[in-house]
Amino acid sequence: MTKQRQSAKKRRGILGGLALTAILFSLYWSLVIAPPDAYQGEVQRIMYLHLPSILIAYLSYFLVFIGSGLYLWKREKRDDILAYAAAELGVLFTALTIVEGSIWGRPTWGVWWTWDARLTLTAILLLIYVGYLMLRSLIEDENRAAVAAAVLGIIGFLDIPLIHMSVYWWRTLHQPPSILRPDKLPWENVHPSMLTALTISFVAFLLLYFYLLSLRYRVGEMRQEIKALRLERGI
Amino acid sequence: MGGWGFVAAAYGIVWGVIVVYLFTLKRRYNQAAAECDQLGPSEAAAGDEKK
Amino acid sequence: MTLLSQAFLMLWKDTLLELRRRDSLLTMFFFGILLLFVFNFAFDLEPDKITAMAPGLLWLAFLFTGTLGLAQLFQAERENHNLDALLLSPLDGGALFLAKATFNLILMVLVEIVVIPLFWILFNLRLWNLLPQVFLVTLLGTIGFCVLGTLMSALTLRARARELLLPLVLFPLMIPVILATIRCMEEVLRTGQFGDQVGWLRLLLGFDVIFLTAGVLIFDWVIES
Repeated sequence: MTKQRQSAKKRRGILGGLALTAILFSLYWSLVIAPPDAYQGEVQRIMYLHLPSILIAYLSYFLVFIGSGLYLWKREKRDDILAYAAAELGVLFTALTIVEGSIWGRPTWGVWWTWDARLTLTAILLLIYVGYLMLRSLIEDENRAAVAAAVLGIIGFLDIPLIHMSVYWWRTLHQPPSILRPDKLPWENVHPSMLTALTISFVAFLLLYFYLLSLRYRVGEMRQEIKALRLERGI
Repeated sequence: MGGWGFVAAAYGIVWGVIVVYLFTLKRRYNQAAAECDQLGPSEAAAGDEKK
Repeated sequence: MTLLSQAFLMLWKDTLLELRRRDSLLTMFFFGILLLFVFNFAFDLEPDKITAMAPGLLWLAFLFTGTLGLAQLFQAERENHNLDALLLSPLDGGALFLAKATFNLILMVLVEIVVIPLFWILFNLRLWNLLPQVFLVTLLGTIGFCVLGTLMSALTLRARARELLLPLVLFPLMIPVILATIRCMEEVLRTGQFGDQVGWLRLLLGFDVIFLTAGVLIFDWVIES
């Protein structure tokens, strides 16, 4: 292994260690120190997972957008690797967000699922990027797949604001009169230690994300190297 | 399920899935690294190391 | 040759091909009508419900019919490596995009011109005076569908399971259009005018413009894939 690789691996290890520490710390704050919500009770703790998850997912899709754009412009393989890695992680965290939202919803609204703006939007997001991953895996030629995926990565991201607007309008213009308002987060009194728990949780997720991203990116890089080496060896 | 039941379910599933993903990722990593080593260093890398 | 004249030329070629064999148009046509029949059996379409369900049913029918059209859109180019030939020519990708999108638009509009009045007749909707507004909304939505659909059709051209992949990637992205057209139409059929749903029209327009522009700019890269 070259010196570059070794130091990269070490940095990754440090990042992983930091992430783990932050995660343990956040678990402690979220589950022990932070008080239960006045209205939602203990269930509110799920928000310490839910909010960071969705933010990380959006961050991921933004990276897909950037990677896709750079790749179409400069055609450097590393941008494509980044886009693919970010898409995979994005799908992971979006799926987690939906699960968290659903579990939170059951005791809060009484249902496992509701077509409110937030949940619906997250589901659409998942569909778009699952489509991205499928597109990549179903196109045989790797270079064609990379270009096609990059275009989809850009178009998908451009569509997101439009999807947001339309789903929110749909939900607010036709709000049935009801006691429960799933659109609003029922956070009346936000205790300071709740905010701390949220912040720590967010930091933990962020560190975890970048650790996973760097791992996944390296896997993508190695796949490229393997391809190149095979070509060289004439395999 | 009481309040804590849902919390446990959520945290359990989330961290469980993340751990599983991490393991599959590591496995892919090790497989790729093994194959890389097997194929041996490329001429380009050999040139790098000489520098 | 300017962008538009290139586009027009290719559109003319596709139109001539279609006029000779008419397979795309006819299949889309009969499929659209078939769907109306199936809807009648699938949903209990009683007179009191039909006005409320009409926009959704119509738009569903057009979505599926349109997807049929999209799947066949690049058929001529796929055969005989025409696409590679096009790539090599000094043709602007954007022109190809405009031509293909317009072609699918024409096909869909032709189908809609027949299917919508047919729907009115089959289900006894007496709202004949509202047809212009309905057509307007449908047109805006169809433009959005054709624009984004042409992009996706070209992107998935060389993928396996293409017939499945195309709707899979297209439909989530189409949701703004689906929501906007159906909500607008609902309002029109209910009150006879757009009222506070005008915002949806603007959204549709914005959608159409954004992806039309994006498509023209980006299509060179799309056909590369």
